[in-house]
Amino acid sequence: MNPISRFLIKAASIFSALSLTALVFFLLSALFIKALPVMDLRLIFGNTPPLEALSGVKPVFDGLFPAICGTLLLVFLAVVLALPLGMAAGIHLALFAGPHTRRWIGVSVDILAGMPSILIGLLGFSVILILYRHFPAITPGLLPAAASLACLILPYLIRGTQQALTTLPPELFRSTLALGASPVQALRHVLLPAARPGLTGCILLSIGRAAEDTAVILLTGTVAAYGLPSGFFDPFEALPFFIYTTAAEYNSPRELAMGFAASLILVGLCGGLFGLAALIRKTFLRNPLTGKA
Amino acid sequence: MASFFRNTEKKIPRPHPQEKEFSRRAHAVAGEKFFTSLCGFSALFTFGLVLFLFGFLALFAFPLFKNGGYFLLLTTPWQPLSGKFGIGPMIAGTAAISSLAILIAFPLSLGAAAFCEADFAPRPIVRWIRPVFQLMTGIPTVVYGFLAVFLLIPLLRQALGGSGFSILAAALTLALLVSPTMILFFSDAFRAVSREDVRTLVGLGAKPEERFIYLLLPQARNGILAGLLLACGRAVGDTLIALMLAGNSLAFPASCTEPARTLTAHIALVMASDTQSPEFQSIFACGLTLYFITTLLIVLCRTRIQARR
Amino acid sequence: MPSPKTKIRIENLSVSYKENRVLSHIHLDIPEKAVTAITGPSGVGKSTLLLALNRLLETEHEARISGKITLFTQNAWQDIHHPHTDVFALRQKISMVFQKPNPLPMGIFANLALPLKLRGIRKKKDVEEAVTQALMQARLWEEVRHRLREDARTLSGGQQQRLCIARSLVMQPEVLLLDEPTSSLDTKAETAIENLLQELKKTCTLVLVSHSRRQVADLADFEYAMPNV
Repeated sequence: MNPISRFLIKAASIFSALSLTALVFFLLSALFIKALPVMDLRLIFGNTPPLEALSGVKPVFDGLFPAICGTLLLVFLAVVLALPLGMAAGIHLALFAGPHTRRWIGVSVDILAGMPSILIGLLGFSVILILYRHFPAITPGLLPAAASLACLILPYLIRGTQQALTTLPPELFRSTLALGASPVQALRHVLLPAARPGLTGCILLSIGRAAEDTAVILLTGTVAAYGLPSGFFDPFEALPFFIYTTAAEYNSPRELAMGFAASLILVGLCGGLFGLAALIRKTFLRNPLTGKA
Repeated sequence: MASFFRNTEKKIPRPHPQEKEFSRRAHAVAGEKFFTSLCGFSALFTFGLVLFLFGFLALFAFPLFKNGGYFLLLTTPWQPLSGKFGIGPMIAGTAAISSLAILIAFPLSLGAAAFCEADFAPRPIVRWIRPVFQLMTGIPTVVYGFLAVFLLIPLLRQALGGSGFSILAAALTLALLVSPTMILFFSDAFRAVSREDVRTLVGLGAKPEERFIYLLLPQARNGILAGLLLACGRAVGDTLIALMLAGNSLAFPASCTEPARTLTAHIALVMASDTQSPEFQSIFACGLTLYFITTLLIVLCRTRIQARR
Repeated sequence: MPSPKTKIRIENLSVSYKENRVLSHIHLDIPEKAVTAITGPSGVGKSTLLLALNRLLETEHEARISGKITLFTQNAWQDIHHPHTDVFALRQKISMVFQKPNPLPMGIFANLALPLKLRGIRKKKDVEEAVTQALMQARLWEEVRHRLREDARTLSGGQQQRLCIARSLVMQPEVLLLDEPTSSLDTKAETAIENLLQELKKTCTLVLVSHSRRQVADLADFEYAMPNV
């Protein structure tokens, strides 16, 4: 290969990597700089004294507190709904399913993972609509949104659990069975503890995915201003939705800056979760049979 | 040697371990059967969910089929006043924005992945660059959209005139969104190339760029294709970026600087309207189209991943 | 000398795995409290025979087993494939030691306590007694008594294998299956284990797969050469 071609390839590659990196740093710094003017307690609690806001005595009108709480509640509910189903399905695929089942369910898990989030939101909304005709109590709100979000993160939990278990050395399962354990006992006492890093990683990833998604909750219950939800079918505020509405319309420079700050918080939250997951995976990637990395 | 045997001869009297077993096992067996059935049920539930999603979309989009057939719907323009609820413009919008985004992102991602894996730069630098791409995957789409609204749109407005909300704006931002996924996927594909083969080429005196072109690229072909398909899926399925940046106009776009509406944005925008109108039903046609496109991409992607193994 | 009593009777055992016949109509009586060596060239099915004895073969999805295997235990013959047989209890009565030592990713004490935990034996005193006795039986006690909480994977190869033997012994098995237990160990470790096996056969029936003619000559009371398929 002549030196010019080699140079071009190398230059193109270095350019791609460095320009993308520079762009990311630029964007993150822009976020930080634009958010700086409002980085104080007022950002979160508005004009309400923090203690009273935290204890729920007084509502917060001007701060991110309801949106942050809304996001946290939503994500918590979604994970509570999706985790048992996801882990159980992942365990089934890893240990109990035959090759045909594994293939067919594997395909559907992949399809669900690749499904545009707006479709899941659409499904959620339509289900709410149908149920509303029979049970007027069911309206868009916290629980329906969490349920839809649970469908969104379900495939990640399933794949993550399945992978965490199948990347364990196969001798581990067999040795435990040889000691007189039933498959469920082997899972409980040996396999799941050994797969803990992988499992934790995938749970953190799912939490991050649920926290950042806007499209699903757009249709199933989030609103621009409400305060803290007090019931399962109450509307709620959420950080990503706040960011979206601020971009569409903002009434003052302060609101705009709050949009940047909310973005910063969301990036910190999701980036932090993803980073933690990657860190756990790297630190604990010791071979379960030799004890070495 | 004899001294070691002393202790083993003495048998400390205690009940034989296996005698205690049966009382516990009876309960445990029932519990275990329940657990394994639960696992099977959960797996089935996921399968059912995917079918349910399809069935739902088809059911709701059905009334529209009766009037003109699904395929007619895909090409007619959106003219509600004349009774035409075709989603043609939305398909054009999705196609334009996604393909432009992938066109921009693919070479950049390939280059960046090569940077990470093909020895084009000293190791210490590469070690610091890769985490940046991992961090990028943690940036939500809504934040990309938000930043683009306030940083990119004014730039485009100045450079190209018009409102700035255009296919170009959305495509550029979308490219940024899908790049990290592609970079990490391609990186893994390059990493999977057998070390032996790389060492052989090094032994033959091949330079990094030559190794990249003649070994890494061909060997990682399937992984690259899979990553590309995955990114296409993400680009087609993204809602927020198109919603915030592409202008959402209902006409067939004529050039990159014009606004457009994607299938995903259409669904988000029309959701708020009257649920009995044909307008509302059009979003299910959108949904169905999206479902087909993404499923096709996913299935193709799976075949590439399996070919890799 | 009275003829040895039979511990395991194998009748007409055939095993196929994915269309290939691995074992064909095997008949064998394994005498109790002695070392029976299973020998033969590579691939003839020695490990498969062992895996059939504690029904571990069933965990392979595509293995098909036919024939009858009975175990003489608690003064009666028990068909190990009978629907009423508790296969998990069986695997503790007929315990297996693998070629490559496989300590579980936990502490030394935890490794040994696991079989007891699986059967519901949780009382601290009972567990400690059983673990100590098993470690003494396996000649490992003195070496590990001060580091019982340490990860079992930090032991040397020979120690790990003795740990695995101790782990099998903790349930006081009636039969011990050993699949080339010393082939991945150095000579010193090998000798230690061979001496241990000589001791164990006084209380336990041993079935040993081995490639070493010397080991078979030194240890085995009976030898079964696998027929070619």
